[in-house]
Amino acid sequence: MKTMKKTGKQYNKINLRAYGALMRSGIMETLQFRASAIVMLFGNIVYLVVIYNLWKAIYASVDTPVVNGMTFNDTMIYLVLASAQFTFMEARLVWLMGWSIQDGDIVVQLLRPISYEMYNLFYIIGQNMCSFVATFIPTFIIVEIVTHGAIPIGVNILYYLIAVLIGSLINFAVDFFVGTICLYTQSIWGINIMKEILVTFLSGATVPLAFFPETLHKIVMFLPFHAIYNTPLTLLIHDDLPIEQIADMILTQFVWLVIVLVIAKVFWRASERVITVNGG
Amino acid sequence: MKKLKFYIKIYFKILSQDIKSRMSYRSDFVISMIGMIFTNAAELAAFYIMFLNFPSVCGWTYYEMLFLYGFSLVALTPMQCLFENNWNLGGYVRRGDFIKYCFRPLNLFFYYFSEIFDIKGLGQLAMGIGTLVYTWHKLQLPVSPLILLELVIALVSASLFFIAIMNFAAGASFYLINTGFLIGTMSKFRDYAKYPVTIYSKGFRFLFTFIIPIAFIAYYPSLVIVRPDEISILTWLAPVFGIFFFYMSYKFWMYGARKYSGTGS
Repeated sequence: MKTMKKTGKQYNKINLRAYGALMRSGIMETLQFRASAIVMLFGNIVYLVVIYNLWKAIYASVDTPVVNGMTFNDTMIYLVLASAQFTFMEARLVWLMGWSIQDGDIVVQLLRPISYEMYNLFYIIGQNMCSFVATFIPTFIIVEIVTHGAIPIGVNILYYLIAVLIGSLINFAVDFFVGTICLYTQSIWGINIMKEILVTFLSGATVPLAFFPETLHKIVMFLPFHAIYNTPLTLLIHDDLPIEQIADMILTQFVWLVIVLVIAKVFWRASERVITVNGG
Repeated sequence: MKKLKFYIKIYFKILSQDIKSRMSYRSDFVISMIGMIFTNAAELAAFYIMFLNFPSVCGWTYYEMLFLYGFSLVALTPMQCLFENNWNLGGYVRRGDFIKYCFRPLNLFFYYFSEIFDIKGLGQLAMGIGTLVYTWHKLQLPVSPLILLELVIALVSASLFFIAIMNFAAGASFYLINTGFLIGTMSKFRDYAKYPVTIYSKGFRFLFTFIIPIAFIAYYPSLVIVRPDEISILTWLAPVFGIFFFYMSYKFWMYGARKYSGTGS
């Protein structure tokens, strides 16, 4: 009995160390591609310019400065930050899973003394953290300068960090779910592009949800995707939200997180058995 | 002339091999096709939602903007279908697999791109043509042999620009290691091609016209059809520029390929 307890504890310790190592390897690998981070940041800046000019032209076509509760500044900040958030969250998990299924590496990963979900989760967390610092924060600072400090800095930053953490976990679960589909289809590109489009469109990263027509807006609110982009960004941009609403938004996010995690896990458990790897 | 005939024959031979091997993954083909149509449908939906809230963009109406979008879809198809292999170049060069292309008694550039024909690009082509026909009707544009000829020339020169941009981005992998992100970023730029270049300030208009010429993918060439009285000199120069730019990218690509010496193993 005593020894069993001890091994259990030891096992936990090993696991924690393994998670740390995985996170580090995710960070290291991202750091390897410094040039990539610079080009990605450049891409974000060009996007910022395009969005700025486009929406300026769009807002010039109406007489009122506020459309659907969004001013020009709101819209621009929202879209640019959504793009930056997309850049740091998009860790190509679907591709990684798809490739490891195609070339059979998944067999090795499944044999590891750490579950496949956890293995991927911590690796992705490391990568996400790294690109958050390398691309999101510089973009945030640039937006802040361009708009002369239009994003309030205060407790809303804290809410954002909480919401974006939950959001990226939801994103992970969605990716993991979609990656599992690759077990059945042998198609990566098609599956991934559909996921990307669905998530970015229905989460309000392409067009802010405030502009959606009534019925579509209602439908979107019944789906988990708005919790990935819309919730964190709304909490970041508006600092005048009542505390009940903030609590409500984060709670909703949390409920969605639990739901998608359970679905992803159950689907993975059911699918693990169908893995077929050709040759050997 | 004989050489051309030979190359055409070879092209279809290599192509049919690729299509046969693709067809053995039928579910992948179907899903990719749906994915492609999905992408375009979402972009159309974004347009639609935007114009629900706003009447026009920089004086461009809903249908005119849709025309630009449809035009860009068709113009992007040749790159998608015929030059898809650009996406794989970085990987081939890094792993040393590229060397296999160097041992054929064929033009290297030709052989490399003939290897893959991306069928799902045809979904995009269908969407593009559909959008063009629809907006053509809505804008009540005239139909005559001359204007159709103009349309074809405009589309061909527009697609040359995008192919050239991607050739440069992919060809960079001969000179530098790990340039995968470069081609990703450049291909993202095509999303900006569907807007009229007049929305930008002077500096960026210059950048998108002469440095990263995405304004030629839809805006300048399509002026000749949508807004014939606003034609800029660049519209007429587009075919010449397109051919020149494509030729430059070919030289850049080939020079890098000739310099390529494998990984040494």
